[in-house]
Amino acid sequence: MVFQVGKGEAVALHDANLDIRAGDFVSLIGPSGCGKTTLMRLVADLIEPTAGTITVAGKTPRQARRDREYGYVFQAPVLYEWRSVLANVTLPLEIMGYPRSERTATAERLLAMVGLEKFHRQYPWQLSGGMQQRVSIARALAFDPKLLLMDEPFGALDEITREAMNLELLRLWQETRKTIVFVTHSIAEAVFLSSRIVVMTARPGRIREVIDVDLPYPRTVETRETERFFDLTTTVREALRGVDH
Amino acid sequence: MNGSDRQPPSARRRVRAANVVRAANAVRAAVPVLVVLAVATMLMYPVALLFGLPLAKQRMDNLSNWLRTTVTALPLAELPAGSESGAEPGARLSFGASTQQELVADLDAAAGGDAGADASGDAGGDAGVDTGGLLVFGGQPLGSDFTLVAGDVVLAAAVDRPLVALGVQLEGPLEVRSGAGHLFRVPAPAAASGGAAAGADEEASAGAAAGADLTLYLGSTLLGRASYPAIERADGVNTRFTFPPGAREDDPVIVDGRLLLPVIDFSVDGDAVDLAESPPFNATIVRLTGDYEVVDAAAGFIALRAASDTPPRAADGVLALAETLVGRIDGVNRVFNLRHVPLVETDPGRRIMLDDRQLDATPQRPAERVDGSTSTFTFPGEPGMVFVDGVELVEGRDFTRAGQTVVFTRPPARNAALRQYRDYLVSDVATGEVTLSRAPSEGQRLWAGQYTFYDRPACGSTVMECFTSLPQHPVPFPNWIAERIVPFFTAYPLSDSRSIVRAVLYTASGTLLALLFGSIVGVALAVVFVRIKPFERALLPWVIASQTIPIIALVPVLLLLLGNAGVTVQTSLVPAALIGAYIAFFPVTVGTVTGLRSVDPLALDLMKGYAATPLQVFAKVRFPAAVPFFFTSLKLGAAAALVGALVAEVESNNRLGLGYAIIGQVQAGDVADVWILLGVSALLGIGLVGLVGLIQRLVAPWDRTAATLEAEGRGS
Repeated sequence: MVFQVGKGEAVALHDANLDIRAGDFVSLIGPSGCGKTTLMRLVADLIEPTAGTITVAGKTPRQARRDREYGYVFQAPVLYEWRSVLANVTLPLEIMGYPRSERTATAERLLAMVGLEKFHRQYPWQLSGGMQQRVSIARALAFDPKLLLMDEPFGALDEITREAMNLELLRLWQETRKTIVFVTHSIAEAVFLSSRIVVMTARPGRIREVIDVDLPYPRTVETRETERFFDLTTTVREALRGVDH
Repeated sequence: MNGSDRQPPSARRRVRAANVVRAANAVRAAVPVLVVLAVATMLMYPVALLFGLPLAKQRMDNLSNWLRTTVTALPLAELPAGSESGAEPGARLSFGASTQQELVADLDAAAGGDAGADASGDAGGDAGVDTGGLLVFGGQPLGSDFTLVAGDVVLAAAVDRPLVALGVQLEGPLEVRSGAGHLFRVPAPAAASGGAAAGADEEASAGAAAGADLTLYLGSTLLGRASYPAIERADGVNTRFTFPPGAREDDPVIVDGRLLLPVIDFSVDGDAVDLAESPPFNATIVRLTGDYEVVDAAAGFIALRAASDTPPRAADGVLALAETLVGRIDGVNRVFNLRHVPLVETDPGRRIMLDDRQLDATPQRPAERVDGSTSTFTFPGEPGMVFVDGVELVEGRDFTRAGQTVVFTRPPARNAALRQYRDYLVSDVATGEVTLSRAPSEGQRLWAGQYTFYDRPACGSTVMECFTSLPQHPVPFPNWIAERIVPFFTAYPLSDSRSIVRAVLYTASGTLLALLFGSIVGVALAVVFVRIKPFERALLPWVIASQTIPIIALVPVLLLLLGNAGVTVQTSLVPAALIGAYIAFFPVTVGTVTGLRSVDPLALDLMKGYAATPLQVFAKVRFPAAVPFFFTSLKLGAAAALVGALVAEVESNNRLGLGYAIIGQVQAGDVADVWILLGVSALLGIGLVGLVGLIQRLVAPWDRTAATLEAEGRGS
């Protein structure tokens, strides 16, 4: 993957080979500029690779996008401020031509799942940041994509909200068994959430190591206190620092 | 939401509490607006004074705007019993009446203050005290001494001749439309006494003389003649005229020889009267403020201020109190002063009397040209003082005289003003100084038969009064505007096309049409610009250029086109709507283009992820994102479109709208009404912008730019 930047060239991603299994919760972690977001956008067909291939559910990314195989959650909620919470969640369904009754039923179910059943009629600016991000997640799940791409979804939230959201996301993942690719800067978050962690390095962006997280489910607040959790965070931290195992 | 019947009481309470909060917020939002209004209103007072006081001062200082008062010998105000035969010593005679009291008071002061300066005013006067006055009968001084006691004359010696010679009784009272008792007529013989065999014209002038010289008594009381002219000039249209303050409600008005009475012919509003019909151009309009006034001098009609059953009677001759001149009469002094100044410069009626002789002040010019070399001149009249360029020459030193011929020792300069005055010259109008050619000798009496002086400014005695009575205030006091509001709006009923309320609605509908057209064109252009880039590059410069054309220049072209297309522009909303739309579309285009491009790139990425079609992206994302921008720019457009609509109305001569009303008032010169109209226009503008805001709230309830800042504060 080579980016044109000004007159020179910047290599954003190089030699990034990764295989993600269905139902996996994979976290991408690495320093800024290591190509995490680029990798996500390549998968989502928002940009095209200069070299190499990507296959999503056995298709090219373009075909996968047209078949609505993935939902995308950005760091910012990116809610449509002229739409109520419910209408934000139904928007993808509207575009995909679902009948109205089904749209509403689905949206109500998803909003209940993220704990916002009382806020259907609110406008985005009336919600807190955490609530807005939950709407964004509900919207990404609305058309039931197989793959959920989450690009630092909780990056802008405070620590308390973030941990609560982590628990909620874990519950959601276990309920729906989606494949989730999750970009984060937080080692603890990556360890707590993931089944596998992809540690990346910068300039050029490479995959350094893939670490399997064998923490048992269900993971709870206590999971963060266990020795295995600390071991894993240490492993990830060392991998980030470049210590080989 | 559930129906209210299913809501628990606590929820209903919450709704009620929310309503209270909303009302409180509305009040709180209104407070700053009202404060600004109050401050602006208060500021108008000093601004009004700043602009108005210099004008008032100018008006007050200009002598041509002063009221003139004529000093004459005052006839007896009240005929005492037995006045047909004479008066005893100690008899008390009154010459004071209304305006004339001032003079007597002045004489009173003169009696106290000027005693030493002109002790010889009365020959053989009681202890040599000058009263400043002189008793006369028909131009003849009487040698009667008197003292002044509280404004009344108390005779020192008996007057053994009749104090009054009563003449004819006037005819009347004559019937007028609205009632009797006011109008009387001088009988024909008296009116025509000047020339019995003369034609109609001469008879008329004789009547005028009779009317002007009348001394009228009603019973034994003297009638004073006085009236005030209207401040406004009759322009043939105006029906409202104001007079200097002091008139009574039922004082009649005289318009060009016609007597008008209150209620029937006019209504009174403070110092102003509203005539039932507008008087002809340049008509003389006066209000009777004295006891009587001559209505038609030619026909001999006079009007009494107060109705009377018995007619007044003319006096052929009556004892009168005249003013003496100030100055020592000792056979040497030739310079005297009149008591009331400043004098009116050209005063054909001025009569200065020496005993029973009227002094002559006619300037005589020499028969020869003053060419700088001639030194011998002939004056046609009687000999007198000789002046060159206002400087008196001395006989013997500067010139010698032989009959009518004057020989100068040195020839006067070329084109110098060479004049001879037989008896006297007013040498200074400001101080009332009079120079006599010969000094009066002791025992002679120098008195004023009649003269006119500038009494006081017509507008009032203080600058503030003059300011208040300014016919035109550049900036009026807010309370004057406030007083005009109700009459201004109720001047015409709603059914009348001249009603201001209708004009406002008319212009509002024109502007709303303009906003509709402007929005359609503006949004269409914006969509084209955003969708097809080359169009924007090709058209945007022209769109900008369209806004640089002054609409004043554009409207006539448009009117011509519309006229050719068969539109009656004088009664059509189309010009206002088109011009308004022409102005309003531009901000709408610019705003909507910005709005359509304001979409978050991530939001577009999301749409890409949903595999949305371009049309869906436009409908679901770009359009909604542009709505706040559209409405904000439409608010700008609304204010501008109103101005455009007003201009279009004025230029198309459309009398149905507000634009014409404003121009009409500016030309009619009613400044308070112009200010009201400015306020109305401003309110209309605010109303239109508010209406756009209201539509915005209905169309886009999610849009926080529509709400107030406070709502935003609560939201975050």
